[in-house]
Amino acid sequence: MKLKTFIGLSSALCLCVTIAQAQETNEVEQLKQQLRQMQENFEKTANEQRQQIEALTKKLDELTSQRQTTATSAPSTAVTTNQFNELNEKVNQVAEAQKKTRPSEFNPAIGLVGETIFSYRSKGSDAIGSDRPGGFDVFQRSLELNVAASVDPFAKGYAVVNASADSATGEATMDVEEAALQTTSLPGNLELKAGRFFGEFGRLAYIHDHELPFVNRPLALDKYIGGESQSDGVQLNWLPPIPHYVSATVGVGDHFGGDSPNPDHPGNFRAFDGLNFWGRLSTYFDLTPNWQLEAGVSGLWNPKEQNRGGFDAFAGSKGNPVTERERRLAGVDFKLSYVPLQNNQFRSFTWGTELLYSDNRYLVDPDGSLAGTPPVYSGDEFNRSVGSLGGYTYVSYKWSRQWSAGFLFDYAQSPENRSDQTFEYSPFVTFALSHWNQLRLQYTHTSHDASSGLKPDDAIYMQWAWIIGAHSHGWQQR
Amino acid sequence: MKLKLYFITLITLLCAAQVHAAKIRVVATLTDLADLTRNIGGDHVEVRSLATGIEDTHGVPMKPSFVPVLNRADLVVLVGFDCEHAFLPALLEASKNPRIQNGKPGYVDCSVGIVPMEVPKSTDHSEGDVHPYGNPHYMLDPALAKTAVQNIFTALVATAPEYEADFTRNRDAYLARLDAKIAEWQQLAAPLKGVKFVSYHEHWCYFAKRFGLDYVGTIELKPGVDPTPRHITDLISEMKAEHIPIVVREPQFPEKVPALIAQQTGATLVKLPIMPGGVPNTGTYIEEMDYIVHSLVDALKK
Repeated sequence: MKLKTFIGLSSALCLCVTIAQAQETNEVEQLKQQLRQMQENFEKTANEQRQQIEALTKKLDELTSQRQTTATSAPSTAVTTNQFNELNEKVNQVAEAQKKTRPSEFNPAIGLVGETIFSYRSKGSDAIGSDRPGGFDVFQRSLELNVAASVDPFAKGYAVVNASADSATGEATMDVEEAALQTTSLPGNLELKAGRFFGEFGRLAYIHDHELPFVNRPLALDKYIGGESQSDGVQLNWLPPIPHYVSATVGVGDHFGGDSPNPDHPGNFRAFDGLNFWGRLSTYFDLTPNWQLEAGVSGLWNPKEQNRGGFDAFAGSKGNPVTERERRLAGVDFKLSYVPLQNNQFRSFTWGTELLYSDNRYLVDPDGSLAGTPPVYSGDEFNRSVGSLGGYTYVSYKWSRQWSAGFLFDYAQSPENRSDQTFEYSPFVTFALSHWNQLRLQYTHTSHDASSGLKPDDAIYMQWAWIIGAHSHGWQQR
Repeated sequence: MKLKLYFITLITLLCAAQVHAAKIRVVATLTDLADLTRNIGGDHVEVRSLATGIEDTHGVPMKPSFVPVLNRADLVVLVGFDCEHAFLPALLEASKNPRIQNGKPGYVDCSVGIVPMEVPKSTDHSEGDVHPYGNPHYMLDPALAKTAVQNIFTALVATAPEYEADFTRNRDAYLARLDAKIAEWQQLAAPLKGVKFVSYHEHWCYFAKRFGLDYVGTIELKPGVDPTPRHITDLISEMKAEHIPIVVREPQFPEKVPALIAQQTGATLVKLPIMPGGVPNTGTYIEEMDYIVHSLVDALKK
């Protein structure tokens, strides 16, 4: 029994010890696990706190730098204020300067145009009837001073003064080409121009030399109009109040033609029929957005012509003294243009044509008695009308902003003797360095009818035209 | 009965004609201003633009057919800053319409209130065809277009005060649309900030300032003066050195030289309109600006 009890107790003790040992092992594991967990928790907390510390540090840095910025910006604000005051002072000074009245305050727009022609002509001036020498020639054709400004709310004034070199002496002679007043606010779509100006006749007669599309003015304009259509007079233009463009112009003046600025009838009394009357009717069509057509008719009449251009009698076709008694001129013109909307500064085409018909009446004085002092009508005098024709046609093509080229054909019968005919053809090429600086090279062949006694000739021209100062694109130069 | 019908028809036609006649006749020089005027004026205006959109802003042809249109106009709306110097003064003189002459109420200069950029120190022609009052291409900055809107609105109200409420409503609606688009364009144009570019003519200074681009120079030697071979060579060298990625060509200028420069430098050539209608699908001002911003952003991606 004791043994059983002993074995039992021993077994129980062993079991207890085993259990106790097992319990002890579990506790260690638990403790270890607890420790690991605590360590993990510690590390996690430490990380979090580290992150918080870092965030706080960063924030602190930012705040510190902001404070520093604020601290340093205080002087910069002061600088800005100083700069503002300085700027304000400058603005006030400029404003004050603007208020000052200068002696030139009311000066008009001023522009100067220069034009030099370098040329070579194969024949002498006597053989070709030119006022310039044959061979090599340099001609300062014009130095043109343009001034323009508003006169008041109702009108503007402009003047063109031109100086050109004399072929014999080289001295420049000044000439008032235009000096006119033009209304700006007449009712009824009317515009009045008065003074000396280029009257509206045809297409190119009222264009200044340097604005022509070629070097020289066409023969027909020289022979029938007398160069530019200059007149001392008054001109009225009317724009009819209709949707289609039509322009109507009438004018009256004491002469017509720039080559002969002397007034007709220079004596002590000029009757109404001694004046020149002219008119023009023109219209325009948009053929397509890029193609345009302008057309016009013009007329000029001087019922009682006398001493035009300072010349009274001249030798007629048969050598008889002839005096111009009535001047009648009619013209028809058109211009077909390709002006592409998109790139018209780089590409364009123009075909312009103008035909003139002159039907002047002359007094023929076979015995020359009218040329005596005093003039005497001997009874052999008779009137004769001479119908003559002239015109020009040209094409011009522009293929870049700088380059263009064209061809001009020119024909004119003499208004005094229609069998005296002249024709010319002229290819030309233009190089525009800029809008204000242009070179043009032109070759011209001229042929005369044998009755003129003049010789055919060939010429090469180099035109150099330049502009300084104010330069506007006028309606007539479009 | 027939007579009665005849009179009713006649009176209706006369009334219709009266309504038509009552419209304010506006001539805008360029298509962007015409678009703004239509948006503000609505049914009360009859707007005609001298340009169709493909022209150079300084080179609208002086067509005589414009003269009767200007002769009957109540208002002429222009960019100002001498932008239209090559054609408008002569056309206005030929129009014989005292209502729209410079200084008269019908002369609506949209540059009023705009601070110009690139005001030249000298108007000497050695600097080319400079604009003495500053660069006139402010309409390429949509924020400045709002000033033009206001100027047109003021002129319309002065001409027809009875429609002020309509004009105000239209203006506000258009400005709201424009503001929304400006925000959209600025967001879209964010990648363009600091991007360098050159163009044929100096159209883009206002645009560049608004959207943060770096406008380096022009292909033209000077305004209105074609580039010389030396200028082209120098420009190519500069573009290579500065890695300039965009060459802008405006539609009215020839493609040859810009294409050559783009090819030599590896830059992308972009054709951009300077007013509505300059390229297809840009009929309105907003469409035009949309096209410009999208085209530049697309060019940068290439």
